[in-house]
Amino acid sequence: MRLFENADYALIPNRHIGYVISGTLLTIGVISLLVKGLALGIDFRGGMEFVVGNTTDINTVEIRSALTETLEDEPEVKRFGDTGHLIRISTTKDITTMENRLLSTLQQQFPDHDVGIEKTDVVGPRFAEDLKRGAIYAVLGALLVIFLYIMVRFEWRYSLGAVAALVHDVTITLGLFSVLAGLVPFSLQIDQSIIAAFLTIVGYSLNDTVVVFDRVREYVNLFKTEPFDEVVNRSINATLSRTVVTSVTTLIVVSILFFFGGEVLRGFSFALIIGVIIGTYSSVFVASPTIVELNRRLEKSAA
Amino acid sequence: MQGNGFKIGLTIFFVGLCGFYLFPSVQNLYVNYKMSNMEEAERVEYQEENRQRLNNLERNSLSLGLDLQGGMHVTLEVEVANLLDQLAVNQDEAFQDALQTARQRAEQEDVSVVEAFVEEFEAANPDGRLSRYFRNEAQGQGQGQSQEITRRSSNSEVQEYLQAQAESAVQNGIEVVRNRVNQYGVTEPSIQQQGSERIVVELPGVNERKRVRDLLESASQLSFHLMANPQQLQESVQRIIDYYEPTAEDSARIAEANAADTADTSAGPADTSGTAEGTQLAASEQEAPNDEGATALTEPGEGETGPQNPLLAAMQPMPRQDQPVFGRVFASDTAKVNELISKREVKKMLPPGIELMWTANSRFTTEDGREALQLLAVQAEPELAGEVVTQASVQFDRQTNEPKVSITMNSEGAREWDRITAANVGNNVSIVLDNLVYSNATIQTRISGGRTEITGLDSRQEAQDIVTVLQSGRLSTDLNIISERTVGPSLGEASTRAGFISVISGFLLVVLFMIMYYRTAGVVADIALLLNVILILGILAGFGATLTLPGIAGIVLTIGMAVDANVLIFDRVREEQATGKTLRAAINAGYEESLSAILDANITTFFVGVILYSFGVGPIKGFAVTLMAGILSSLFTAIIVTRIVFDYMVEERRMSVSYG
Repeated sequence: MRLFENADYALIPNRHIGYVISGTLLTIGVISLLVKGLALGIDFRGGMEFVVGNTTDINTVEIRSALTETLEDEPEVKRFGDTGHLIRISTTKDITTMENRLLSTLQQQFPDHDVGIEKTDVVGPRFAEDLKRGAIYAVLGALLVIFLYIMVRFEWRYSLGAVAALVHDVTITLGLFSVLAGLVPFSLQIDQSIIAAFLTIVGYSLNDTVVVFDRVREYVNLFKTEPFDEVVNRSINATLSRTVVTSVTTLIVVSILFFFGGEVLRGFSFALIIGVIIGTYSSVFVASPTIVELNRRLEKSAA
Repeated sequence: MQGNGFKIGLTIFFVGLCGFYLFPSVQNLYVNYKMSNMEEAERVEYQEENRQRLNNLERNSLSLGLDLQGGMHVTLEVEVANLLDQLAVNQDEAFQDALQTARQRAEQEDVSVVEAFVEEFEAANPDGRLSRYFRNEAQGQGQGQSQEITRRSSNSEVQEYLQAQAESAVQNGIEVVRNRVNQYGVTEPSIQQQGSERIVVELPGVNERKRVRDLLESASQLSFHLMANPQQLQESVQRIIDYYEPTAEDSARIAEANAADTADTSAGPADTSGTAEGTQLAASEQEAPNDEGATALTEPGEGETGPQNPLLAAMQPMPRQDQPVFGRVFASDTAKVNELISKREVKKMLPPGIELMWTANSRFTTEDGREALQLLAVQAEPELAGEVVTQASVQFDRQTNEPKVSITMNSEGAREWDRITAANVGNNVSIVLDNLVYSNATIQTRISGGRTEITGLDSRQEAQDIVTVLQSGRLSTDLNIISERTVGPSLGEASTRAGFISVISGFLLVVLFMIMYYRTAGVVADIALLLNVILILGILAGFGATLTLPGIAGIVLTIGMAVDANVLIFDRVREEQATGKTLRAAINAGYEESLSAILDANITTFFVGVILYSFGVGPIKGFAVTLMAGILSSLFTAIIVTRIVFDYMVEERRMSVSYG
């Protein structure tokens, strides 16, 4: 089977379509980030999270209203898998007290269900502060190392192109997390595993971009007479088959994680699905056009 | 093909190595499968017979993270600010202010309490000397003390001293936690230091959250306690044994046996000779081989017929006229005995104000290598807090060269100690840390002047252990839970199943896709992929890493991304073939030309893994490890292993390979 063999699409000449798509997604994302913001998980905010089991046919609203009084705070309640609910409170009170109150209230209110606690996560404010700091260092560190590596291996133009694509990908994915939070039936709060997913997206997107750039580097020497635009377009087309195949295999596995990996991994694999799609798109429609545009500026100022 | 000898050798070496590391895991899986098919009784017997082997297998297998097998993961923090507060004398407003600000700063910034405290103090008092709060030269002779702080010590010396104290507090905390966890009886707990002030405790299979929280968070303080009157205690022991007696006749039989025992053992406590002037405590050891109690310690309950007394089944009573010993118990039976003696009716039968405490270390080992602990009757109210101890060291008797422990107390402690020892000559006293008795001894004489010696010890090691406890346990170590994650067994099982399904189905789908797309070459890539998964698991097992749910996600993701290198190569081969090259030339060119892209792409992702590993906590580390292991092994399998296969097919067998 062969896909995109001898592909010859006018991608670079039509890059403006990409600009419109990216621009729209970025605008929506940034506006949502500014207005609605991101929901931080208890990893970075501190608080408690409980997963209760055997609550299959109880409504989330019922649980919330049952708990609001005893917990002295309106908890967030979400479905968790097929049989349970996730209850989240942002309190720093004693764990055992809160846990006992929560469990006894639920057992009293819903006596015909054998409600039990399946999972607890408690993060103190100081620990949350540390995790947040660690996450920020990790993201900044990753971006810096990648930028430096590309600088060493490629010219600075390519570096800028790659980093532009990364910023584009992470901003859009974050934006989607902000837009979709509350609209999808699973938790999209930013926690440690989402940060890990973002860094994986960064790695993946870069992987894609590097393959295209590697080809550009090769073709620039091979087709010296051709204008740079066309060399880039030719490179994208030459690697298109590989880009698509790798995206397909990666999408297969992350979709499997999303559907079969269980409730714990849902937010994480959701981020990866979006990231793989956006990352593939951006290496063609963001990273490559960036080096083309940069090259134009350069030529113009030289002339 | 000649040049491939090295590559083939390398492949066999790596695969063999991974097989070696994975072998116990596979065996373990098999044994567990076999046991799950056995009858209950048969399984217990099998476990008994193969205990050693099963433990070894368990230890060498790839272990599952707490999110998969269920359990508690608790992060504790040592309250260093409280420690400084305890250490400091002559506290004034400047000290309190600096400590308060340091406490707040440490909560928000990436700075230790000690560092922040010294900085704050120096900023507020440019000429201030920290040594005025932390002088310790007047108390001891510096011996045994980690560092001596005099009036003239510089602030940086004080900082070093405080850091050393904080460090020892964390070590002490770890020791305390280990003892508490051992008492609780968890299989394969993990207790590790994290950073400078934190302790991470992992308890697989534990789901009693409240009990563990109480167990870990309670403050620990070293103290000296008087002990129960042995005669009074014996009456209580008898009453408690009777309480658990199943029938009247049995009760009578046991009582008789015990009475006989009591009459037999009239030997005095160990070593009372050679008493030095007014400083002597004799450690109470009854370990003489011909001692009635010691030789009687066999598997309790063995050979009994009829209904058994549950207490006597787990414990060997030690009726002695002169020692407050309740009984001896095998380390493996302590949980059972704890349950029996924690009943309220039973507690009421003890002499008033008396509590039962375990000895901290197993002092007895039976012939077949099983450890036994003593249960001692100690007065619940401490007589003296451990902070009066200013110095403790191991010394040797001039004449007999026997090891002894020398303790010095401050003047206030010495005054109290004088009063206590004067009123209790001939009675027993114990050194207790965290409800465990580290040493118990008989007061030989009134001790005035604050210098005490413990003699009659068995070994230098025993003396050293007591000194360590006295030194590190002087200050109370407050531990706070700052993070807790628990996963119940059923959710863990569901996650394991979900992870397993994801790995299998992800693998199968990618394999099918590759065969569909690249035909023969796809099959070769799939072989490499299978090898890849084995190598990843082997690397994890070899480095003793745990497999967590994010780790499994990392493996699944790697399965999808690992084929990328082969995709790059195969597409390049197709391109080269399209330019009219022969198969062999196309393969050569395909591997050569795509190498730079493969390396560049993978090195960057590897960097991301390294960064995730260094900043991530817990499960994220697991993801990072599998991501990195995946990159390394996929580079190896995709570039080297597939090449060997193609070379063999094309050059040796002259086959025509389809790249789809």
